[in-house]
Order: sequence, then structure tokens, then C-alpha cells
Amino acid sequence: MYLAPDGDEVEIASAAAAFVADAMPIDRLHKPDSANMDAPLRELFGEMGWFALAVPEALGGSGLSAVEHALFFREVGRQCGPVDVLAQCLAANTATDDSLRAQIIAGGRGVALLVADGDAHRLIGSADSELGLAVTPEGARLFSLGGIDAEARPALDPANSLHIVGNVPHPFEQREAGGIWQLGQLGAAAMLVGIAEAALDLIVDYAKIRETFGRKIGSWQAVRHPCADMAVRVEAARSQLWYAAAAVKEARGDAAVHLDVAKHMANTAALANTDANIQLHGGIGVTDEHGAHLLLKHALLLSRLFGSKRMLLRRLLDARLED
Amino acid sequence: MDLQYSEADREFRASARAWLKANVPQHSRPAEGFAAARFDRDWQRKLHDHGWAGVAWPKEYGGLGLSGLRQVIWYEELARAHAPHHINTTYVAMMHAGPTVIARGTGAQKAFHLPRILSGEALWCQGFSEPNAGSDLAAVRTRGVVDGDHIIVTGAKMWTTDAQYADYQELLIRTDPTSERHKGLTWVICDMKSPGIDIKPVRTMLQDEHVSAVFYDEVRVPIANVVGEIGQGWSTALATLNFERGLGFIGDQLELYERVNRAIDLASKTRLEDGRLAIEDDGIAQRLAAIKADCIAIRAMTLADIAETDRTGIPGPKGSMMKLMVTGTHKALSEVVGEILGWSFLEFDGDRTAHPWTYDYLWSWVFSISGGTNEIQREITADRVLGLPRSR
Repeated sequence: MYLAPDGDEVEIASAAAAFVADAMPIDRLHKPDSANMDAPLRELFGEMGWFALAVPEALGGSGLSAVEHALFFREVGRQCGPVDVLAQCLAANTATDDSLRAQIIAGGRGVALLVADGDAHRLIGSADSELGLAVTPEGARLFSLGGIDAEARPALDPANSLHIVGNVPHPFEQREAGGIWQLGQLGAAAMLVGIAEAALDLIVDYAKIRETFGRKIGSWQAVRHPCADMAVRVEAARSQLWYAAAAVKEARGDAAVHLDVAKHMANTAALANTDANIQLHGGIGVTDEHGAHLLLKHALLLSRLFGSKRMLLRRLLDARLED
Repeated sequence: MDLQYSEADREFRASARAWLKANVPQHSRPAEGFAAARFDRDWQRKLHDHGWAGVAWPKEYGGLGLSGLRQVIWYEELARAHAPHHINTTYVAMMHAGPTVIARGTGAQKAFHLPRILSGEALWCQGFSEPNAGSDLAAVRTRGVVDGDHIIVTGAKMWTTDAQYADYQELLIRTDPTSERHKGLTWVICDMKSPGIDIKPVRTMLQDEHVSAVFYDEVRVPIANVVGEIGQGWSTALATLNFERGLGFIGDQLELYERVNRAIDLASKTRLEDGRLAIEDDGIAQRLAAIKADCIAIRAMTLADIAETDRTGIPGPKGSMMKLMVTGTHKALSEVVGEILGWSFLEFDGDRTAHPWTYDYLWSWVFSISGGTNEIQREITADRVLGLPRSR
């Protein structure tokens, strides 16, 4: 029993942190039209094998587990990485056709996420994506986006493009099992934990240098105590994320429960911490030049994917744990 | 990262579960008073006689010397079995005084006190807080004057839990009258039957008298009862406080999951004023589910912290964050149960057995104030976890 990154996991996490911070730094989002993941960037992720951490080696992946998957997406979240990265990764785990899977793993064909919204679908991801992936707890479906009508919508979150798709074509590949949903929940929860941590880091760093009334703001209890509460939320959400990741890796019978809890705790921590981070920064926190709003907006989007509050809490009421 | 229990861990769980199933008292604990203390002593004696006493104590002092993970298993099984709550009149002896004597006591102190604590023969209380030294514990003023081979103690302590029932007290006094703050303090074992001790129970908002003010009028404490060195009491006291903020609440942490499931069960049987079952109310159902998620995450936090401590051997500063999380969740659960129970929640005569949910609701303030208020826990977190500039 050990609930933290350990051994090789530590190295993978730090490699992921360095790679994502270099290839996709959060500061990119201050530039206009930063939402789309262009082909060279997607291929760079592909070359490094990041889309296929949890794909078995025999199928062209790294053969690692849900734990490394979570460690990677926590770093993607810290930089407000687009949902494309998660969609691409889940598609690599969905595709059964060898050549299609190889193209997805290499980043040669882009994948966006399709989410049902009433009778229509929301398409979340880069405009040039060739494939759409829809995931539910029951299974995953891959669609070709060629020739469909996608209406562009303005996006609050600058990290992702949004489109509405009226008529979704028939899927050309599908899987009737919950494994993809589980990786999706874990990835989204991990990104939200990364956001909650990034928000805490930003305000703690600022509180150590910014002065008011002749003192560092980090010495005022009006700032210290909300920061402590942010740390508690991070600790709870991160511990539960590790538990859920290990539960998926070990195929425990209650893994689905722990994933729902992990996503709920991550939703809560990311939304509350990104809120507090803006407030405690004061005026600078509401400016576009500061990154605080980017974390909030990305958290708002991610908190609706792979389990929104209502869905998760409905499922949790009767859930039972194993020892 | 893994969730694997060893074969020995699983065997330990199975044997703890089997023993508890056969041995948990059939009748509930008396609500208060000496009958409750007797019940606690009997349960401690039973644990001791069957080899389950002192799960965290080293083997050489009669305990089980369990790893953090095994302690988690033990407390999970206690909660599952609805065993007597571990925060009772034996708590200070088992969780504070015993560990402090083990860490800093003399051979004679260990030989005399530890067996009596483990067997339930001796109950202890804590004499740290004073009318003007609560969160600011270093402001302690109760005076100790060395007189030959005794220290003469004069002053007052406040918020002493279970003082009426205790045989001994862990007592923090100022032995150097010229000293300030953390210096010049001494930690002594005080026999509660000593002449000059006056215990005045304080009636609380729970309608009980679980705390007292204790007055000392030239009480003679043998120098042989000093734990640690004279003048080094702060260091001795911290050994206990760190423990309280670390593993001290592990039982409560793990019991919360059982409690939220009982509340969900209650909501599925209890009708609201409008005739609907409480669980059919979306607001109540959603709040219960969110609290259940918190309880499950608290368990993950506990396991993450324990695993780290088992590996490093040093308890980290995360105990303060744990206490904030646990006390907040405890209060939220009590509040939602208050809505589920409707008017009957307001029926309360101080009997914790007859009205457990109302009692627990009132207890939530004891929980978030005692052992370091939540404000102090936030200060500790800001200092030691986040490294923010000091506020004081």
C-alpha cells in the first residue's frame, strides 16, 4: 500500500511535466486563436508516445497503466492542455484497427471529443480534427468527422474550440465496455487536480512577494486561511486521484466508485481553488494578462466532462466500497 | 502507487473482525458519569486481556507495535463492528499520556504507569489549557515552585476533559517564574487525588459536564513525576500535540464513512413534513452523496498519509489538514441529518445514547475547537505546508 508516485512513476511524472510545460505552456493562451492543437504539436506528442501510455505494447503503446496515465494528465491540466489530448489518448485505447490506431498514436489524425447535448452533440477540440470520439459509462464510439456540418460557437475557455454538430454519422468503431470511460474520468480528474494545484501554487508564490499595509499578504490571516483551505482541497482530491488510479490499475471491483469520487473531489477542488486564486490576487487576478482566469475557465469545461456534479452524486448515493 | 495489502495484513483484518464480532459489548455505553467511565475501563480491560490494547504502542511497552496501515485496518474494523468509540475516558491515557511517557518518561514512570493505562486501571486527563492559555498554549501561567524533592503547584487549568474520573493528569506548569513563552515550562504527572486539587465541572452546550476547571492550591507533585527535564516541558508537550494532530483522530476519520451510510439509511426510512421520504428530496440526496464522497476521500487521505509515515518514520504536517477536512465533514453531516429528522432533531435532554445525532451535531464544535482550533490548524498549514510568511 503506497498512495503517491513511486519509483519509475516519479520519473515519468517529471518527464511529463517538463515536456508539457515546454511544448504547451499555459502562456500560449494569452495569444489569440490559441485553442487549436496544430498538426506539428500533435505529432510531437505522438513521437514521444504520450497518447499511448496505457495502450498495451503489443498494440503499439507503452504498456503502462492507469497510474502513469493519471500522472501525465495532471501535468496537462497544469498547463491548461486542450481536451484534444485526452480525446486522442482515449481514441488510441478505443481503435481496434491496427493502422488507424497507429495513426492516432502517432498524432497523424486528430481526435476531438463529442458530448451529447440534448438532441445535438457538442464537439470539443481542434477544428481540423478528422475523428470524433463519444464516450459514456457503457462504451466508446469513434466517428469520422469528414463532411459533417459543425457550427462554430464562441468558447469561454480559450484552450478549446467548441462546435455544435446536429447529425452525427454512424460510428465506424465502437467498444461496449467501461474501460475508456474510466480512463476518461481519470484523465479529466487528473487535469482538474493539476489545475487546483496550479491555482494554489500561483497564490502562494504571490503571497510571498506582494505587500499590503507594509507586510507580505501571506502574513495576513485573511489570505493565509483561504490558502490553507485550498491546500486541504488539493490534498483530498490528489489522495483520491491516486487511490482511483491504483484501483483501475489493479482492476478492483470498486474502481468505478473511486473514480466517481475522484472526479467529484477534483471538480470541487478545481472550481473552488481557481475562484479563490482570482479573489486573493485582487485586481491583477481579473486581468487577461494574468493566468488565473485561464485556470478557472478550463476547470469549468472539464468539470462538465466525464461526470458532472449531478451525475456523480446520483451514482454515489448507493455505492459500496471494498476493504 | 498500489493498494495491495500483504497476506499478513489480510489475516490481521480477518482476526480483528472475528474477535470484534464476538466481543463488542451488547449493551450501549451509559450516557455520562462514573457508569460511563466504568464501561470504558471494562472495554479497555477486555481489549487488554485479549491482546488488542495499544495498537500504536511499541511491543516492548505492552502494545501491538502496529504499522500505520495495520492501525487503519484496526480502526476500520472497530467502526464496522460499531465497537465503543475510541474517544472516551481512556483516550487521553492511551493516545496522549502513554505515548508521552514512552517517548520521554523515566524507567520507573514507564514501569508504573504504562501497564495501568493499557489495562484500563488508570484513567488520565490533560492539564494544558488555562483560562488565558488556549490556542496560545505557551502563555501557560500555572506556577510550580521546586521545594526539596517536590514541586508545589498553584493555579488553574481549563477545559480538562473527564477530570472527575481521571486518576492522573498530564500537567503543564511554569517552573521558572522569570521565564516567558516556551521556556521555563515543565511537564509533570499529577495524581488527581492529591490534596489541594478542586475540580469544578463546567456545564457545556451539550448539556453535559465532560469538561472541568481544575484549581491547584499548593498541590505537592514529586519531582520524580517530571517527564523530560524541568524547564523542558514545551518539548515534552509537543511530542503529544504532534501525535494528536496526526494519528489521534484516525478512528474518527475512518468512522465517518460508516456514519454517512447510516445517515443515508436513515434518509431512506424517514419521512419529511410533506410525507416524502427524505432521500427523495434532491437537495438532501445530493448533500448526502457529496458528504459520502468527502468521507471516501478522507479515507484515501488517511491511507496516503499513513503510507508516507510508515516509509519515512516521521509524521508529516498533514495532520492539521486532515483535522480541517474531518471536522468540516462531521459538521456538514450533522446538519443534513438535522434536516432529515425534522422536529425530532430538536428533542434533546443531553443523553447522547437516546439522541445520538443531535449530540453529534453539538459535538461538532467541540471537535473543531479542541486539540487545536480549526483556525490554529489553518495557521499550521500556512506555516509548515505552504511556507507562507509568519503571521505572528
